[in-house]
Amino acid sequence: MRPVAVRPSRLLALEPRLVGIGLAGGVLSGLLGVGGGIVMVPLLVYWAGQSQRDAHATSLAAIIPISCASVLTYGIAGEIHPWEALALAAGSIAGARIGAGALTRISERPLKLVFGIFLAAVSVLMLVRS
Amino acid sequence: MTGVVLYVVLAAFGVVTGGAAGLLGVGGGTLMVPFLTLAVGLTQHEAEATSLLVVLPTAIVASVVLRRRGVGDLGAGLRIGLLGAAGGVLGALLALALPGEVLRIVFACFLGLVAVRLIRDSLLAR
Repeated sequence: MRPVAVRPSRLLALEPRLVGIGLAGGVLSGLLGVGGGIVMVPLLVYWAGQSQRDAHATSLAAIIPISCASVLTYGIAGEIHPWEALALAAGSIAGARIGAGALTRISERPLKLVFGIFLAAVSVLMLVRS
Repeated sequence: MTGVVLYVVLAAFGVVTGGAAGLLGVGGGTLMVPFLTLAVGLTQHEAEATSLLVVLPTAIVASVVLRRRGVGDLGAGLRIGLLGAAGGVLGALLALALPGEVLRIVFACFLGLVAVRLIRDSLLAR
């Protein structure tokens, strides 16, 4: 599969596949309460032809505006628990530096394996809870 | 759990979810939502809303680290996300209106298939 090239010349100039991946990630993010990365990473790897590492980095960047929009929507609905979010975020910010640092060092195949095991665990967890 | 203990446990759990998020390229909502419903006692919608507020700084910090190390294309990712934000609003409104059970089962099965393919691709030498 040919990798999708991104033209930086226009603000929203993206290959149609990347547009589709963004939209799919956004809808499922808001609907299922996940960051959208679980949807976008496999699509970026298997549909857009990115490397596993680049797909994870692209996904993290895409999550920023997507979660902004979802936070505003939920904020208007008044369902956010701000103190719980603050405590989680304090830890999560420290963890994110560690995790992203590890992403820059890990090689492609173990990364694929770890992400595959993570998806399998998520899948089983979702089915058990249903 | 109440009071200080709750917030210490939440921060510790945040380190784990943030680390997983940075490595796996996800926000961490998948780990936080079950924790917030089962261990903290929030409703599904409250947990989803709260986790999304944590996902935002997590993704920003991870993206800054990756940008500094020259991994990935931050600009392309942000543009994908801007388009995705429109979908995010739609999805969040749908989540407030729909009982998500059937959707979650379908989604879980899809994830299982993707997981099998990823693990197979990782283990088979090219």
